[in-house]
Amino acid sequence: MIELSHYLVVSGILFSIGVVGVLRRKNLLMLFFATEIMLNAANIAFAAVSSYYGDLSGQMFAFFIIAVAASEVAVGLGLLIVLYKKQGTLDLDDLAVMKG
Amino acid sequence: MESIIFFILAFFLLSGAIMIVFSKESLYSAIGFLMVMIAMAGMFALLHHSFLFLAQILVGVGAVVVLSIMIILSINLKEENQPKQNITRKNILFTTLIIAPIAGLLLYAIAKAPFAFAPIAQHFGTIETMGKVLFTHWVLPFEIVSILLLGAMVGAIVLSRRRLHVES
Repeated sequence: MIELSHYLVVSGILFSIGVVGVLRRKNLLMLFFATEIMLNAANIAFAAVSSYYGDLSGQMFAFFIIAVAASEVAVGLGLLIVLYKKQGTLDLDDLAVMKG
Repeated sequence: MESIIFFILAFFLLSGAIMIVFSKESLYSAIGFLMVMIAMAGMFALLHHSFLFLAQILVGVGAVVVLSIMIILSINLKEENQPKQNITRKNILFTTLIIAPIAGLLLYAIAKAPFAFAPIAQHFGTIETMGKVLFTHWVLPFEIVSILLLGAMVGAIVLSRRRLHVES
């Protein structure tokens, strides 16, 4: 029988993999994917807890997370295209334009 | 039956996430991302959340993954433009040392708690109930999200249409 803790363990492992991705990858595109993984891990936890308590608020949060993640990806990928056209690279170490 | 489906979904979820983090090619990472998104939708379906399932398929798989694959294909990342990923044993060890306490704490806190699913009510998480709650208790966040999406849309269009003045 699948319990709430199964879902939460999967969510925790997924979130940790996302943190590893954010810390490890130097490619800007992969950073987007890793943050998406982390948001999705939060979504699983919200949905499972929502089922556990019989409360719709968790699903509402998951829905809003999906919407915010979609808008983040749209703007982020637009910025990424502009950056790639301008600099020809997606290396995070080269993104030092704002460096004082 | 339910547990078999859950473990298959969890396998796809975690292997897709590992594929994103560890593959060298951007497109393979995008395929891993697709796996994660579809497995997420499966998780929502397993929890009987039909509204979230549809939203995940439409928004997550249909928009986000397709958009990122299109971006990867259109900017045509060349091999010499890829950032050098120096995967040394020291790096892996360092990252693992940082992550392990966080993951351990999460798993410990979750594993200690005695949980079980109560039997789910019949009409829980369907589109009808979600719509009723969304338009009564959650109207203001819903409208704010719609404004956010409008702003994101305008921003994305402006960013991608602007002519770049490259200083030479």
